[in-house]
Amino acid sequence: MSSSLILVLIVIGGYVAARLAVDFIARRFLVVAGAEYLLLGILLGPRASGLMSSNVVDSFGPFITLAIGWMGAVIGAELYLPSLLRIRGVVYQTALLEALLTTATVSGVMYAILIFLLDVSPPVALAPSVILGAIAATTSSSGVAVAVRRLAREGAARTPVLQQVRVAAGTDGIVAILVFSLLLCMTHPAPPAGIRPPTPTEWAVITIAIGVIAGILYHLFLGSERDPDRLFIALAAAITLASGTAIYARLSPLLPTMLIGAILVNTSQNRTAIATALHRVQRPLYLVLLIFAGAAWRPSARASVWLILVYVIIRLGAKLGSARIATRLGGRVDELGLNWGRALMGHGSLAVAIALNYRILDSSALPNLVFTAALVSVFLTDVLSARFVRNAVQGHPFQQQRAIGSAR
Amino acid sequence: MRRTVILLIVFGFVELVRPLGSSGYGSQALLAFGFLILAAYTVGEIAHAIHAPAIVGYMAAGVIFGPAGLQSVSNEALARLEPVSGLAIALIAFLAGSELRWEQVREEWGGLLKIMGTELALSAVGLGIVMYFASGYIPFLQNSPTSEVVAVALLFASVAIVHSPAVTIALLSETRAKGPVARTTLGVVLLADIVVVLLFTGTMASVRAFAPTAGTGGTSFALIGWDIVGALIVGAILGAGIALYLRFVAEELFLFAIVATFLGAEVARIAHVETLLTLITAGFVTENFSHRPRSQALRNAMERSAAPVFVVFFALAGAKIDVGTVVRLMPILIPLALVRLGAIWAGTHIGGTWARAPKTEVRYVWMGLVSQSGVAIGLAMIVAETFPTFGAGLRSLLLALIALNETVGAVLFRRALVAAGEVAVGGADIPVPEAEEHPA
Repeated sequence: MSSSLILVLIVIGGYVAARLAVDFIARRFLVVAGAEYLLLGILLGPRASGLMSSNVVDSFGPFITLAIGWMGAVIGAELYLPSLLRIRGVVYQTALLEALLTTATVSGVMYAILIFLLDVSPPVALAPSVILGAIAATTSSSGVAVAVRRLAREGAARTPVLQQVRVAAGTDGIVAILVFSLLLCMTHPAPPAGIRPPTPTEWAVITIAIGVIAGILYHLFLGSERDPDRLFIALAAAITLASGTAIYARLSPLLPTMLIGAILVNTSQNRTAIATALHRVQRPLYLVLLIFAGAAWRPSARASVWLILVYVIIRLGAKLGSARIATRLGGRVDELGLNWGRALMGHGSLAVAIALNYRILDSSALPNLVFTAALVSVFLTDVLSARFVRNAVQGHPFQQQRAIGSAR
Repeated sequence: MRRTVILLIVFGFVELVRPLGSSGYGSQALLAFGFLILAAYTVGEIAHAIHAPAIVGYMAAGVIFGPAGLQSVSNEALARLEPVSGLAIALIAFLAGSELRWEQVREEWGGLLKIMGTELALSAVGLGIVMYFASGYIPFLQNSPTSEVVAVALLFASVAIVHSPAVTIALLSETRAKGPVARTTLGVVLLADIVVVLLFTGTMASVRAFAPTAGTGGTSFALIGWDIVGALIVGAILGAGIALYLRFVAEELFLFAIVATFLGAEVARIAHVETLLTLITAGFVTENFSHRPRSQALRNAMERSAAPVFVVFFALAGAKIDVGTVVRLMPILIPLALVRLGAIWAGTHIGGTWARAPKTEVRYVWMGLVSQSGVAIGLAMIVAETFPTFGAGLRSLLLALIALNETVGAVLFRRALVAAGEVAVGGADIPVPEAEEHPA
């Protein structure tokens, strides 16, 4: 079957499924869509039915890269400074500490497992274990969004725990993108042309420059125009150019496009229009990303079931433990309780994007292991991510007292 | 100044990045796509500032930055961006079909046929005769037998008479022109698109009788029939499906517009029917079987999603122009282009007078019929593949002529729309009727 037709049918099928079933189920039963698309991708892909051959999957490389880049831009667009400044600094401290501790813990444990149990040499084990740590730090943003909508209806949208969860989910994403992107700079292979290989610092500067230049180009290109078509063209061009450039230079599109999103949302007068345009395209691209992530999956020679399950358990433990430590160190036990970390257990789209980005770079070490671990973790936790958030918020003593109060 | 800065930054950016990476996983295609949107759109703005159509600017950007120019866009990237061209053609065709209301078609059917018939007949005869007598000056025909010269003349004429729905729709979209000249030009172009496919296939079948071909596979009349009838059937089904969607769902129109056109193009390809005609029919059925506000909303969504696709489509068309060949063939190209121009002018005037069309239409419609692009290129490729002895030479000549007509035709059509006062306020230009443009 033609690859283009496959894509069209996938998008139609996915859209119909999302419209008829998934949205309803998400609202009614508080579960999040995503994992089923991964499964669908695996079933359609070369490892199962073979409806999508490896060539077809490869031919959609540009769409997958664009989907990854677009996700970065959406995350960046959340960083609107005036809104961020309204939140207390201690909330960021707690969130940052939780994200860093999770990354460090999972990286350390996976590094030890790879070296001592799988006999991987220390230099080879370093990059995959750090990337597994970065992936572990991410939290399902769609789970948080679905839960926030539900809790808003129940009048619990302004609780300290929910605010902490929202900030932590955002911070987790930023930390993961930074760690992943900078690691790619540090482990970057020499470019093919006969030039002096840039140092890791120079690669980092190049990564940031791609995002900044694309952001500047957007402004120059748009000028004083307010036409929505032109705004969309400028936005799509900036994200496409940055994503294409980054992947061409064997870097991650996530950091440059996150910078674009942050630059545009803070410097443009069309903030709302930009956010609308980003979200309008994000949904179909996310769908494409999940399905092709599933189709691109290859079993790893080194990834046994126990190793993947250990990764999932370590991540969950690290999330809960890091949140507790961060809460205690910030002196906020009374405010947040010790179990709000449960809200961060859902693993979502960003984990898939980072793992897929790592997988498509041909110089990566143990790409299939990293990819499989991320997919399994998302598969097991994303569907319940909204419930994790709701249970964490409703399980908090403040909420319980409120519930008792309203019962009286 | 701002535009120059954008071009310098984009070009410098791509040139700086180029030695740092390598192709793989479609990275070059994505880089080229982003680059072309910004660069071509900016050159389009420069073209617009000097009162040329933006699409000429897009094509110029393709020439400048393409493989024949500064090589910022490689041949590999061009090949990987081919689906963008397919999507653009599908969108163009759907938009063209949705411009046609049944009442108008019924009312203007006879007039359109008369204009199209005379201009196509005059162009085909004129170009065929000139090609036959000029064969001594054409490098690949200098020592050819008479039968081969006749074959080339017939094939050349059947491709050179083709118009460009792509340029016509893109310019109507760019200028947001509405009026009798815009409507009649579009009608003639769309009608001619169906007729030339039949003419070309008939010519191919005739020429095969006395010119050596590369393969044994022929194009039967049954296949031609299916090409046309099948397109009408597939297009009608697709259009009905879209109309139903608009009636019962009518949401996410932006995404739906892209998916529907992509699906139409793919189904047409798989069913071996004419893609353009399929999408034109789908657009026509959608427009005429849906509630007007909803079909209008779909058209708006389609125009919005088409904007970056059109930019890249015309830039890619420009990047494929072999400037060297065009320059080399210029001595023969200019007379051929002038004969074509004259035949279109005369044919439209005779046909328009015969149809008792208003004077404005008689005066300006011919200017919208000069441009050529996608369909003509496709037919030139078929000729080259089918006739190994002279096909390659004829293809080069045709592609050079198409490149010339594509550029000149876009400029002429824009002038016609402005002169006829049909360019909308808020479009590319404020309407300036000819009398106001030249008060003296």
